[in-house]
Amino acid sequence: MHTPTPTGIVLNIQHFSTHDGPGMRTTVFLKGCSLRCKWCCNPESIQFKPELAYNLSKCIGEKECGLCLKECPESAIFVLDSDGKMRINWDLCTNCGKCVPVCPPMALYLFGQEMTPEQVLDEVEQDSAFYGESGGGITLSGGECLLQSDFAAAVLEGAHQRGINTAIETAGNVPWSFMEKVLPHVDTVLHDHKLTDPVRHKKWVGVDNKRILENFKRAYETFPHKTFIARTPLMPGVNDDEEHIRAVLAFIRPYKNVVDYELLPYHRFGENKYTFLGQVYELEDFQPPAPETLKRLRAIIDDAFGRKG
Amino acid sequence: MNTPVHTIAINIGGGYVPGINSVITGAVLAASELGWDVVGIRDGFDGLLFPDRYPEGGVVPLTPRMVRHLSATGAVLGTAPRSDPFRVRTVNADNQIEEIDRSDELLAKLRTEKIDAVISVVSSAALSVLFKLHRKGLATVCVPKSAENDVAGTLLSFGFNSTLSYTVETLERVREAAESARRIGVVEVLGEHSGWLALQAGMAVCADAVLIPEIPFDLRKVAEKLRAKAKAGQEYGLVVVAAGATPAAGSEIIESAAPNPMRASLAPLATGPEDSYVIDQSGRMANSVALRLQRLTDQQIYPLVLGPLVKGGPPTAVDRQLGLGYGAGAVRAIQDGQCGVMVAFQPPDLKFVPLAEAINKIRTVPRDSLFVQLSRSLGIALGD
Repeated sequence: MHTPTPTGIVLNIQHFSTHDGPGMRTTVFLKGCSLRCKWCCNPESIQFKPELAYNLSKCIGEKECGLCLKECPESAIFVLDSDGKMRINWDLCTNCGKCVPVCPPMALYLFGQEMTPEQVLDEVEQDSAFYGESGGGITLSGGECLLQSDFAAAVLEGAHQRGINTAIETAGNVPWSFMEKVLPHVDTVLHDHKLTDPVRHKKWVGVDNKRILENFKRAYETFPHKTFIARTPLMPGVNDDEEHIRAVLAFIRPYKNVVDYELLPYHRFGENKYTFLGQVYELEDFQPPAPETLKRLRAIIDDAFGRKG
Repeated sequence: MNTPVHTIAINIGGGYVPGINSVITGAVLAASELGWDVVGIRDGFDGLLFPDRYPEGGVVPLTPRMVRHLSATGAVLGTAPRSDPFRVRTVNADNQIEEIDRSDELLAKLRTEKIDAVISVVSSAALSVLFKLHRKGLATVCVPKSAENDVAGTLLSFGFNSTLSYTVETLERVREAAESARRIGVVEVLGEHSGWLALQAGMAVCADAVLIPEIPFDLRKVAEKLRAKAKAGQEYGLVVVAAGATPAAGSEIIESAAPNPMRASLAPLATGPEDSYVIDQSGRMANSVALRLQRLTDQQIYPLVLGPLVKGGPPTAVDRQLGLGYGAGAVRAIQDGQCGVMVAFQPPDLKFVPLAEAINKIRTVPRDSLFVQLSRSLGIALGD
């Protein structure tokens, strides 16, 4: 019996990434996430289905164009009198995408497209010349790439068959069976420890971290020869305290295959995308952590890993 | 609707603006005159969708006796920042967070509660949600609320007059402080797409400049005016800027934190706030304008952000009357069988505008409006 090739919803393929695993990497962002971190910098990756985005600054206005107005079956596009440009009524928009091909300046676009593993790998392989010396390869990110576990496993297995190093970025909030399916094809697992306190985890991320911690512990033990790198997106006033860092260290240090713990300082670069998607960015008053805080917390990590700062 | 009405419900969508309790009072008293029962749904539609959160009941009876003792300040039914039954965030059995459509369940619960019609107090953004519910069969009459007066189809949304009054009072204080310190105050006020609050408040205190979304600004022109006033002896000033004010093409570079090119390359389209159209929230518009103006005028300038602060507090007499009128008007619409409409103040009447005509519009300031003309006559620079 022929098993159909799984297809996935791919948000973007980012070439020449340097922070998503070892070496120079090609990062494939998959759509769909099971968490709702308030600081999310990729809000376009949260929903599974392709979704419309609108960049107002590219719109040339009703006078010059107006094609999208005629195309929208839901009457979800309208003109703002004061500037003559389009606005999206996000409550009426169904993300059908019919407005996208008729928009000459590409102010309207869809986040996400369906791809086969082969299509992804063919594009990724174009960067293979950069992988060799740098030790790079493909990284599946998201969203939560493990939610599309069949597709992710197929892409990563295919990458190995083509001699490409593999990594994933995961927050771990998936059924264990998903993780078990994908991890055999992964060389490096970059995984998040966002908050250690389950109540605070629920407050900032949407669910508690019980299953996440169980999954990680089980992954460390089930795949002792894989490389794991723990990471924390560092949020001022949320998890940029010694207590959290030391709690994560206490969790990961017993496992020799967790080789590092990285801090990713919060940034606001995702803020524009909330506007593109007609969403509200909840953390408008948050600022990136101070360099001194980062230095102090990284020193604790270096100390735990026996490195000199 | 042709079926006889026995019970109506009131729900409040979005955040607080002054006058909410007046709308509730108006609706309850008017409904009582018709012999109808009134209930209130707590926190938007949450009282029906999440009854477990409300040990004392998510739906509460509202009687004339109760509302006669209701304070004009506050929102007795609570408020919900965003109440959209079509996209309710939930955690599924697999511990995954997702947004699901619970609109059918909501309509079923309204039927179970024997609610014949719903008066929904909503902002312009939430009108479309009620429009969609109406298309699915909900008998609803909407009441426009807005601190920015940006709901199309009505001359005045309730909440605006109170916000305006508080803004004017604060602007006067800022100007007096500016005069004492020989500085220029730049005050950011609400107004994402619509500059009514900035313009009317700025006009009321004869500000030196008002920058609104509808008129792209050139700060060099504002600076020119401020320099001329300084030369004539007025070494202080007041500039009012709406949160969504935008620089004219090619005229300004709004200051913002330089994006980190390394991190910016790591995620799709994560390119930082480079485009001037992006609404600079959290007072960054005030900060940006203040910084640029200081460079252009060499006068000390301090930014101040009023933001949502002005939406709190008690309603003015106008908002009390308007709220009562809108509440009673909504009852009259239901009585007349006119559901799927918004009550609109179109002097001298209250009219009922079909929701289909009220959505997909924002009430902006026409460039040739009387307020714009009068502001210019008063010597207020509009940045163009």
